[in-house]
Amino acid sequence: MKLRHYEAMFLLHPDLSTEDRESAVEKFSNIIKNDGGQIVNIDQWPLRKLAYKVQKQTQGYYIVMDFGAPGSAIEELTRNFRLDEGVMKFMTSKLNDEFDPVEAAKKYTQKPSEESAGEAEKETQEAGSEGKEE
Amino acid sequence: MQRPQQNRYKRRRIYVRRKVCRFCADKSLVADYKQPELLKGFITERGKILPRRVTGTCAKHQRRLTNAIKKARIMALLPFTSGHAIE
Repeated sequence: MKLRHYEAMFLLHPDLSTEDRESAVEKFSNIIKNDGGQIVNIDQWPLRKLAYKVQKQTQGYYIVMDFGAPGSAIEELTRNFRLDEGVMKFMTSKLNDEFDPVEAAKKYTQKPSEESAGEAEKETQEAGSEGKEE
Repeated sequence: MQRPQQNRYKRRRIYVRRKVCRFCADKSLVADYKQPELLKGFITERGKILPRRVTGTCAKHQRRLTNAIKKARIMALLPFTSGHAIE
């Protein structure tokens, strides 16, 4: 089956415990794997303030999953996002029609060196007005 | 009566500095909805997207920027309007 490169971001309820969040992440990554997908990276953001209230909550946990999967997996993933009560918001976007696991992983393995170089550049240019670390 | 006024206007135009697209100047910089701190610089206090003529962004990057801002709004990373914003 043909894999495409996707990125899914979802927002978890702030009252969930660390274990609850871990199990939610595992549940969604298993859905992708069961449909023949491959996970490249999972990024769990720390508790963050929201720009506006969502389900009367002012903060929440964002999770970003970078993966390759067939289109059918996305349908199943979306259905489960809707069913899960802990998920307040979600969005899946296609990054590319082709999925190359080696190429996709590069982004995360190279990042540390690239980021430090980029940040140093920015600091000299405009005295760190980016706030990229947040 | 009108001529001197026009001249003054023209002279003032000279001081307007040419703005450069920030995304073209820094190739590593990408308009990404996951970086709300970066996108914040391209919206007004009310949360509206700033026009190209204000920020100097080129057409290509402005298109990507608007999409990124709209995605960030959907994910509650940026406000739609200040009226709904927290604080």
